[in-house]
Amino acid sequence: MAKKEKVARGASDYLFWVYRLLIALSAVFIFMPNLNPIRVIDKIDPNIALFTAAFSYSSLVQKVGLLLRLGTVKETVFIIAYVGAIVILVGVVLLVAGACMSLGNILLQRLAAVFSMIGSGIGVIGCMVELIANHTVRVEKYNNPTADFYAMTPIGLKLFLIIFALILIISIALRVMLPSGADLEEYEMEPKYKLFLMFLPFGLLAFVFCYLPLWGWRYAFFDYQAGGTLSADNFVGFKWFGYLFKNAATRVDVLRVMRNTLIMSFLGIATSWLPMVFAIFLTEAKSEGFRRFVQIFTTIPNFISWVLVYALALSIFDTTGFINQLRVMIGSLPKDVEGPNYLMSTSAIWIKMWAWGTWKGIGWSAIIYIAGISGIDQQLYEAATVDGAGRFQKMWNITVPGLLPTFFVLLLMAVAAILSNGLDQYLVFQNAMNEKQIKVLDLYVYELGLGGGGSIPLSTVVGMFKSIISVILLFGANSISKALRGESII
Amino acid sequence: MAKTAQEKLDAKREKAYYKKHKNMYKVKPSDIVFNIINYTIFTLFTITCIYPFWYLFINTISDNEKVGRGEVNFYPKGLTVQNYWALRNVADLGNSFIVSISRTIIGTALMVLASAFVGYLVTKQEMWHRSICYRFLVITMYFNAGLIPGYMNMVMLGLTNNYLVYIIPGIVAPYNIILVKTYIESIPAELEESAFIDGASYLVVFRHIIWPLSKPILATIAIFGAVGHWNSFQDSLIYMANTPKLYTLQHRLYVYLNQTSNLGSLVSSATTAEQAKNIAAQQLSGQVIKYTISMVSVLPILMVYPFMMRYFEKGIMLGAVKG
Repeated sequence: MAKKEKVARGASDYLFWVYRLLIALSAVFIFMPNLNPIRVIDKIDPNIALFTAAFSYSSLVQKVGLLLRLGTVKETVFIIAYVGAIVILVGVVLLVAGACMSLGNILLQRLAAVFSMIGSGIGVIGCMVELIANHTVRVEKYNNPTADFYAMTPIGLKLFLIIFALILIISIALRVMLPSGADLEEYEMEPKYKLFLMFLPFGLLAFVFCYLPLWGWRYAFFDYQAGGTLSADNFVGFKWFGYLFKNAATRVDVLRVMRNTLIMSFLGIATSWLPMVFAIFLTEAKSEGFRRFVQIFTTIPNFISWVLVYALALSIFDTTGFINQLRVMIGSLPKDVEGPNYLMSTSAIWIKMWAWGTWKGIGWSAIIYIAGISGIDQQLYEAATVDGAGRFQKMWNITVPGLLPTFFVLLLMAVAAILSNGLDQYLVFQNAMNEKQIKVLDLYVYELGLGGGGSIPLSTVVGMFKSIISVILLFGANSISKALRGESII
Repeated sequence: MAKTAQEKLDAKREKAYYKKHKNMYKVKPSDIVFNIINYTIFTLFTITCIYPFWYLFINTISDNEKVGRGEVNFYPKGLTVQNYWALRNVADLGNSFIVSISRTIIGTALMVLASAFVGYLVTKQEMWHRSICYRFLVITMYFNAGLIPGYMNMVMLGLTNNYLVYIIPGIVAPYNIILVKTYIESIPAELEESAFIDGASYLVVFRHIIWPLSKPILATIAIFGAVGHWNSFQDSLIYMANTPKLYTLQHRLYVYLNQTSNLGSLVSSATTAEQAKNIAAQQLSGQVIKYTISMVSVLPILMVYPFMMRYFEKGIMLGAVKG
């Protein structure tokens, strides 16, 4: 008898995995615009997912305003579709709740089966509502054949119907197969599953905002226009990858952007020892108060945004800025002549951008080295003093070797981030004069895709290259670190 | 208290030592030169770090005419708050202020709560597939699908031109989770165990033991998170293209800084009629208004700055300990 129960339990365990998988699929599908089951009429925005549509009616009808005003379609269609969306969403929520409960003991599992029966039932009803909406559209089109719309039976609708039906069958089967659990008193779940379920919402958030964007890489393979759709018709394969190198104008742009990116990164890497020197010399100052004073005020720039740095730069270097006022004061600039705007100059842009970055970051970067110095054994210095070592000898032979491991890690991180200069700094300092020297990869990707360049696929391709190269660099840096120091940096 | 013989002996030896090595501890001329140069360089650099803020500030609180004549360079002249008062006429500034403040408060609060809770969960060895779950979060720090796919993802989720885009994506912050996890691991496990024996659930333990004990690290991530939210510019730029109402303050400032049409007209209509006739004065006060808006958007940072000082080292040092 006991053995038989165990066998039945084994079968239901497998069935539960199928069941959870199906529910997970349905939960993912509600975020996929291509599988939106409520697109019963072609005028519904193809770029919104069921989840979005069910939350805001306005996003559902945002592209049909004209149609509604002209009265070619009755609004009823959209209201029915919207109601269907909500019903399907409720069904999926119940299913997810069921899947979570299915990790508990038999009592909870039985309850899970009931939940998913109800959930999938509601889901099926939602799909029926969508079919009604679909039918209404067909009737309208029949009555008004010349109207500028047509009815659709979305793939998503069929898919959801199948999934809901499968889950319904499985949960009925589970309910029948599961032992009554009458010997159990409470709904319970093992701690390991409890912890997992508490973690799950956060894992999902990470999935949606960090992993799901990878799905957007598909735009690289389509001839996509903003607001359009992806379909077999505009699939272009690797066209954009080739275009990047074959199109002369684009190639020139990309090469120039890469030059700027690499030069500015190398400037940063070549001077990455500066914060260390800053820290070493600052700790040489005997006065504690002075050290704190310097540390406090040189760290401030790190905490303001690049926009504010630009505002400060304007106030100092603009035509009526501080520099020009000073020049008027000392007489090197006539009073009625408008002074130059130093930010518009084209000379030494790379150096200037490096200088701004250093000004902003050096005080902050030095903190880690200052902490490192205070961790060096003081006896070393005393011993060196006894041996007659001078100030600089002590710096070079004790402090620097003590800080090198930290420096090395930061250097490897900087090398791994060589293509990521960030967008803000270069965007705010960019103007018509200096754009040829200032445009770095991040800025280029932004402008190409969103800032008027208007080519989302091409911009995606460039971004893909950047992401992949960055990951390779990171792992390269990590294995160097492992080989040399026996420690990984990630 | 009388010194022991040993201590007396030690003191004697030390004296003798210093006498013998007197030369070594004497201040040499080269030291003086070094100190002068060292102190001078650091003082100069510190001045370049704070002077721009001071310059901006004195320009906003000085008489606009004196600013126009270029007289205000080192200290304020003709104190006035009219520029700050005039900000009430600058369109959309109030909106942006509310957006920035609310996202800073809500976003930071949710981020801290989530980081604390997830940080606690991932310290629990008994969690189902704990290491996979943890890595699933940590890996996201090392790759990025890119700007455009990220944008298309937000479009798909209906989060563009939507206030929620400021809040939701920032809730799960892997780096902060690592910081909290590392910190919680240093809390003695006995505290938790005794609570579990008394029948407390995970949530109770989290609420009454973990949360209070990890306050120092939570304060650290809260401060850094808040500064990040306040300074955020990129998400506003990318996701709010059609909704100027929802621009953050930094984005608004960026727009104003690049505006060639003068904001001065807004101000002069609020001040005097003669000024309105004076176009030069208008352009100037446009300039000063830009300064004033900048000052307003940097002020909160400068205000919380003293509190942040305490958390500097903690924050940056913990960052070095990855797990």
